[in-house]
Amino acid sequence: MANIAAQRIKREFKEVIKSEEVAKCAIKLELVDDNYTELRGEIAGPPDTAYEGGNFLLEIKVPETYPFNPPKVRFMTRIWHPNISSVTGAICLDILKDQWAAAMTLRTVLLSLQALLSAAEPDDPQDAVVARQYKENLEMFKLTARHWTNVYAGGPNVNPECDEKIKRLIDMGIEEHQARVALSSYNWDLERATEQLFS
Amino acid sequence: MKVTIKQWTGVASWKWVANDDNCGICRMPFDGCCPDCKLPGDDCPLVWGQCSHCFHMHCIVKWLQSQPVNQQCPMCRQEWKFNNK
Repeated sequence: MANIAAQRIKREFKEVIKSEEVAKCAIKLELVDDNYTELRGEIAGPPDTAYEGGNFLLEIKVPETYPFNPPKVRFMTRIWHPNISSVTGAICLDILKDQWAAAMTLRTVLLSLQALLSAAEPDDPQDAVVARQYKENLEMFKLTARHWTNVYAGGPNVNPECDEKIKRLIDMGIEEHQARVALSSYNWDLERATEQLFS
Repeated sequence: MKVTIKQWTGVASWKWVANDDNCGICRMPFDGCCPDCKLPGDDCPLVWGQCSHCFHMHCIVKWLQSQPVNQQCPMCRQEWKFNNK
């Protein structure tokens, strides 16, 4: 790996470890390999959002051309958010693409992602199904996002109604995550989700 | 008593006067050099933009070369213009 990238990541890693956000448990950063090309990030779901109480893991890959090009970041924890793919975890955020600047750091990237969880941009979606729900039925979106936070990110809000509907589909032989996706996509309408799964 | 100085060695110290301690691009101290250089000083100078942000010259040149369209300061996103003052 190019000298500048590895040296910078080393310094940034120390910077994050010492930051006040780490002290407040809002963000976390770990090394995955010894040559500073892959890291694991973690952000806490922001308070007063559907993601509150959840912890979201991020895969961070540092290109050889860093910091002249942005790091490649993806959610490893499944999440229901208009700008994050519910399938792949791919993120739509300008600073990870054409709005990157060399003065940004892993710390500012993690904080920007946390801000994205508080302020979605449904008009620039990465996941069209989620974005449509967000715009057409915000309460349904919040309920779904809270449920996904509970199931995949360790959030505290159990929704017995969602769990019950998923159990009904599991009993019909559908795999759990597939059942959750179908129900989430059809506003938790069991009939329509079943129809889609068996069509 | 009379002292005769046969030889003397002058020692001076220097530092860059910048508004920050570290280069925002490589994050190395300004009083050091960019990661591609061995010795700080005139061979690895600092440059200022008209927006008043300051970087190792080698770092900002690499950044500008990596930005084919908009040549902006990596700190404030204003159009980058070298401050020649």
